[in-house]
Amino acid sequence: MQLQRPETPEAAAAALGSGSVALAGGTELVPLLRNGLVRAETLIAIRDAVPRGIDGTRIGAGTTLAELEADPQIPQALREACSLAASPQLRTMGTIGGNLLQATRCWYWRLDFPCYLHGGERCHARQGEHREHAIFGNERCASAHPSDIAATLLALGATLRTTQRELTVPDLYRLPTDDNRKVTTIEPDELILELDVPKPEASTYLKAMDRRQFAFPMVGVAAARSGHSVRLALAGVAPIPWALGSPDDLDEATPLTGTAYKVEIARTLVRRAVEAVS
Amino acid sequence: MVELVVNGGSHTLEAPVGRSLAETLRDGLGLTGTKIGCNEGHCGACTVLVDGVPTLSCITLVHTVEGRNVTTIEGLRDHPLVDSFVRADALQCGFCTPGQIVSASALVEANPEPTREQIRHGMAGNLCRCGAYPKIEEAIATWQG
Amino acid sequence: MARLIRTEKEVEGRYEEVWLVVEEDALDQWPSGPGDIVGRAAPRITGRQRARGEARYTADVQLPGMLHTAVLRSPHAYARVKSIDLTRALEAPGVRAAIGPDALHVLVDEAGYPGVAVAAVAADTFDEARDAVALIEVDWELLDPVLDPEDAVSRGQLLIDPRRYERGDTERGFAEADIVVEAEYRTQTVLHNSMETHQTICEWQGDRLDVYISTQFIWGVRDEVAEELGMPPDKVRVVCEFMGGGFGSKNGAGDHTFIAAELAKRAGRPVRCALTRREENQASGNRNATIQRLKAGARSDGTLVALSGEFVNAVGWSGWTATTEGPMQMLYACDNVQTVTYGAKINTPPMRAFRAPGFVEGTFGLECLLDELAAKLDLDPLEVRRLNHAHAGDDRPYSSKNLMECYKRAEPHWERRHDARARSEGPWKRGVGLASQIWYGGGGPPSYAWVRLGSDGRATVITAMQDIGTGTATAMTQIAAEELGLPLDRIDFVLGDSARGPYASISAGSSTIPSMGPAVRAAAADAGRQIIEIAAQRYDKEQRILSLKNGHVTSSDGGSWPLAEVVGLLEDAQILGKGARGPNPAGMQVLTFGVQVVEVSVDTETGEVQVDRVAAIHDVGRVINPLGASSQVEGGIIQGIGHTLSEERLLDPQTGTILTQSLDHYKLPTIADTPPEIVTELLDIPDEHLTNLGSKGLGEPPIIPTAAAIANAIRDATGADVRSLPISREEMLRALREARERAGEKVAAPAS
Ligand SMILES: Cc1cc2nc3c(=O)[nH]c(=O)nc-3n(C[C@H](O)[C@H](O)[C@H](O)COP(=O)(O)OP(=O)(O)OC[C@H]3O[C@@H](n4cnc5c(N)ncnc54)[C@H](O)[C@@H]3O)c2cc1C
Ligand code: SF4
Ligand code: FES
Ligand code: FES
Repeated sequence: MQLQRPETPEAAAAALGSGSVALAGGTELVPLLRNGLVRAETLIAIRDAVPRGIDGTRIGAGTTLAELEADPQIPQALREACSLAASPQLRTMGTIGGNLLQATRCWYWRLDFPCYLHGGERCHARQGEHREHAIFGNERCASAHPSDIAATLLALGATLRTTQRELTVPDLYRLPTDDNRKVTTIEPDELILELDVPKPEASTYLKAMDRRQFAFPMVGVAAARSGHSVRLALAGVAPIPWALGSPDDLDEATPLTGTAYKVEIARTLVRRAVEAVS
Repeated sequence: MVELVVNGGSHTLEAPVGRSLAETLRDGLGLTGTKIGCNEGHCGACTVLVDGVPTLSCITLVHTVEGRNVTTIEGLRDHPLVDSFVRADALQCGFCTPGQIVSASALVEANPEPTREQIRHGMAGNLCRCGAYPKIEEAIATWQG
Repeated sequence: MARLIRTEKEVEGRYEEVWLVVEEDALDQWPSGPGDIVGRAAPRITGRQRARGEARYTADVQLPGMLHTAVLRSPHAYARVKSIDLTRALEAPGVRAAIGPDALHVLVDEAGYPGVAVAAVAADTFDEARDAVALIEVDWELLDPVLDPEDAVSRGQLLIDPRRYERGDTERGFAEADIVVEAEYRTQTVLHNSMETHQTICEWQGDRLDVYISTQFIWGVRDEVAEELGMPPDKVRVVCEFMGGGFGSKNGAGDHTFIAAELAKRAGRPVRCALTRREENQASGNRNATIQRLKAGARSDGTLVALSGEFVNAVGWSGWTATTEGPMQMLYACDNVQTVTYGAKINTPPMRAFRAPGFVEGTFGLECLLDELAAKLDLDPLEVRRLNHAHAGDDRPYSSKNLMECYKRAEPHWERRHDARARSEGPWKRGVGLASQIWYGGGGPPSYAWVRLGSDGRATVITAMQDIGTGTATAMTQIAAEELGLPLDRIDFVLGDSARGPYASISAGSSTIPSMGPAVRAAAADAGRQIIEIAAQRYDKEQRILSLKNGHVTSSDGGSWPLAEVVGLLEDAQILGKGARGPNPAGMQVLTFGVQVVEVSVDTETGEVQVDRVAAIHDVGRVINPLGASSQVEGGIIQGIGHTLSEERLLDPQTGTILTQSLDHYKLPTIADTPPEIVTELLDIPDEHLTNLGSKGLGEPPIIPTAAAIANAIRDATGADVRSLPISREEMLRALREARERAGEKVAAPAS
């Protein structure tokens, strides 16, 4: 394996693709490489190539979760999401760009079962052990999106700038399909450079998890209010961050036998989040 | 070849890309105070400081910290936290303890008088299977003696 | 004088009859209450070494030329190796040796559980070994696994004959009961997850073998390895100076040790075999799941008249059937008790002892059942426990029992329940629950210690025991210091090497202090007697008026001489003291007791449970080090909280693959999950019948009642009966729903 350290986004983007993978904080990528779930001939360390820091509503993709957690310019919901995510060390290492592109924590996927998301025929979780899994969008792959941050950015209406385009959070994610099992639309040679996170009048992030810190979201609810409209998005409930048009949309959930409890939790957290921002 | 600055001293070592900082510290430099509990970012036993920031050395590739300042428990041996941990009996088997002290050193550096809540928040990434937590909290709350 | 006796030996709740050579325990116990050093808080003697990262754990041992091992483990729950080919692995870069099922009995060709070792490779680096393992070709014949313990029981697939127990006439007892409650309780499989994984380094020195191992039992490893390899035991040297946790999983040598020994022999180099965290969570043991169908009959005043239980232990492919039924048989006075226990053989990794195996699980069932009974009768759960207090054991008296005193000390904590409930707010309901504890913890012979005192007036205590993190080395030093009248810092304690000291007890079954402590005290007393003999001659005093205190020999008629002066004339001569653990009191049961009172908050809308406060009151005899003891109690409770709320090993129901191999999925408690307040109260009443110390063990008692006390507090707070561990959000919400439906029925009933 090789390591390169380009100093500009252009150089980094040029080095990416065909066996090269971007390495930011490495909290996600290094374990994946070690377990053979990602293969790379060259690692492109993007620390010097991608913007880092916060300027008004703009956030460099290289900004760490710890930096976001601490900055008063950042909307409440995002600060809360960061502060409830992962562990202190992971937050000082992990970047927001990497966080948005983290892979599922589905145990079958992580243990390399030949499941649907890995390109196989069926979802092992649906018939198997799936208490951590999805209640929406789960017909093919029932994984639950692990990012507190992504759901929060979805509720906040954030946009992203990459080396190739500008896009919204919904544009970044896709449900896997038979001909394409990816859950993001990022190209192998595309880098996220910056995010723009508009300031709502009020926002909050509520998270249910198996322990009080240092756990992925069982259900995470982000709510952001601008004027009379409250935007809601959920983490841990679908293979991608899930926008909820209204609290009643929870009636449309398609839980598995082992995930029905998540609907009940989501109802409460949605109600509480709406109350908190109203 | 990588050049490392560890506890103030420079070292030049042979290491393939992919080698972790933890492995390099322990096997390459004999700094075995840094422990490996999980080797995948889940426990905090391997915590070191990189430019003063708590970092999991097991999932940090050694090449990515070239030229940055790495501080291990061996560089914190005279930190007052060592005494406060012993005084409060904040360790049992002691295997997680170096990692706890490294994390705690960054916590008290940023905030010399952390509240109980801040300690619980700032130390949540250091698992202790022996359950020394109440006394770890106590040790950090009373680190200044 | 040495004496040959026939006695019962108890380890982790299992009794065997054995012949034992014991030495008489001639010393009188110290008066109760703190002494100069014993009974007073002492920080850990090796604390600084550990905290500064200087302590050398097995994981830190690096020997010149040492090779690293990777193990090929079965990916299948049940399969046979039709053929295996190591050729490509042997040719891979860095590989020095590779072995398969034909080389070693711990490498199997019939895999009965996922993760069992099949082959192993030693190479210059771990990465090379791992890459080589990937080149081993195995042709598997897949067999149908049995994963469900109930399924195994119905097929008669059992590891032991069903274990039956009966006293009195339960049928009649239930017939005479005013009320009968019945419920099924389930406990999950949990994983030890010591922070230092299982590991061993083996190095051959001619026909001798050095074994560096993270272990709870140096001498057990020595004997196991010697027997397996057909060597005289003393040709095997076992070393463990610092140890990163075991909790019962490191009582034996383990497959990895035999693998390292064989590979080291073949490669002619030292070999390390260390489990990764993921291997640890597959192949190093677990607390097995249980299913408990329990029934209690009582009179309307709460007096128990009958208890019965059917217990299914999901033991695994091998392992022993822990006494899940123990608490039902032992905790209460009840004339009619009947239990049957099944040890289900299934295609899952074997159980291993885990901090009070059986009793943690059995106490959860029994103590929840008792509260359900109390609730039905509208009685105070604490009163029900007092009412049914067992005053003597079935046929053998207790060496000491102060459970009633524990209950008394629990009262102020229990009284807080009114306040706690009143602090319920919106969806957050608060409540208080309690549960009792019974367990062994008396230790036993043999165990030995030596004390060496030189002309500088410093003493060294030597015994080849291990300190697994429980602080026993500190306690031993305190005992020697007290007996020798020396300050702590004038005692060195040498442990951890079978070549450097006498036989020492296993550190399991809450036995280190009660087994080792009396031996250390006896050795110190032996040395002390010799000091006094010397002083008597030197200062022309009668021995009986001399004593050792504060580093001095003191005469009751006024003189006092610093120890260094007294022994200064020894020059290179040494005083050598020797001590042994005497027998346990004949015909008596030596047990530990306690009660925990827990306060919880439950978010009834999201199922979140928080443990707000735990008061732990235990009767473990004399307390040597109150500081270390409170750490043990806190640690046990926190493990208990993990067991109760967040930890669970999960299997893929089809393949049996363990899904929770890593610590993101297997959720150990963090500092944030720790209750803001844990109050430890140890009665500190020496057991007058037990050894020269009157101390029992404390490692296990504190984890025993925690789960039931939490569940009972949840019932107090919400009216919901949780009967299955862990009390996940899902389980909590289910129990709340059930309670609401029940309440709805009650409300609806009069109308219909
Ligand atoms: C144990 C554990 C617990 C965690 N818990 C939580 C949690 O509770 N909630 C939560 O939200 N998250 C959680 N995380 C996720 C964590 O926040 C992410 O791993 C981290 O933010 C990723 O950032 P990184 O810089 O380390 O990314 P890396 O590991 O460096 O990269 C991750 C991926 O993103 C790609 N990438 C990184 N940056 C860019 C970029 N700028 N442009 C294009 N591609 C890029 C990489 O190629 C790689 O594929 C947890 C992680 C771990 C290991
Ligand atoms: S949930 Fe998705 S990732 Fe998990 S097994 Fe199913 S398809 Fe694979
Ligand atoms: S060893 Fe690095 S986090 Fe566990
Ligand atoms: S002291 Fe043993 S793991 Fe923390």
